[in-house]
Amino acid sequence: MSQFRSKKLDIGGFINARVIRDHTKRKVFEQYEPDRQALRYIIRNTSLPQRVRAQAQLQLSTMHAYTRPTQIKNRCVAGGIARSVFRNFRLARYQFRMQALAGELPGVRKASW
Amino acid sequence: MATPYSRVLDLVKVQCRVFSMTFNPDRLRLGNKVLRQRLRGPTLAAWYPKKTVSFRDLQDAVKPLGLTTFDEAEDDREEAIQIAKLRGKGRPKKKRTAAESRSAKKKK
Repeated sequence: MSQFRSKKLDIGGFINARVIRDHTKRKVFEQYEPDRQALRYIIRNTSLPQRVRAQAQLQLSTMHAYTRPTQIKNRCVAGGIARSVFRNFRLARYQFRMQALAGELPGVRKASW
Repeated sequence: MATPYSRVLDLVKVQCRVFSMTFNPDRLRLGNKVLRQRLRGPTLAAWYPKKTVSFRDLQDAVKPLGLTTFDEAEDDREEAIQIAKLRGKGRPKKKRTAAESRSAKKKK
């Protein structure tokens, strides 16, 4: 959502609308994570009164969707693709292949036997 | 000889105090596992590479000082636009009013 988006572009590399959206979600989640964890603690603590726990449940479920970690999707930093992204290299398979063959990824070489 | 249960409880109590854990012999669900979890936010937020300084930033920083910079790519672009204009291939004039845009359509 636009109220969370930074006014100035603060990421480098490949940029498109989906990359910016995902980056915004990451930053919003980072900001609200302590609040979410506090609510999660209250909900899971059975020694607290039932009313308090129910209120915490309601509060957590009414928080904005962008504060949820499940909204975050790993995207390729070189192509913006969200499918088949290697977590260790942050690259999708095609960009990974291109960069690996160009020798830009240390320690990666084409298998041959 | 079996150790009495109360003795074991005392030991666990001391252990919990030393290692700052919660003493919970009744095994109630206190939600402490949520508090033990590490925050994932900083690592998740660092996925995309940070913005680096570009030539445009340098230009913006230098301009208020009254200095000028030469951007070759920008210069080439403006030159190409000038050439296109001379050949009559420039961008069409912006229509300011509704009447103007209507008449432009009809001309066909």
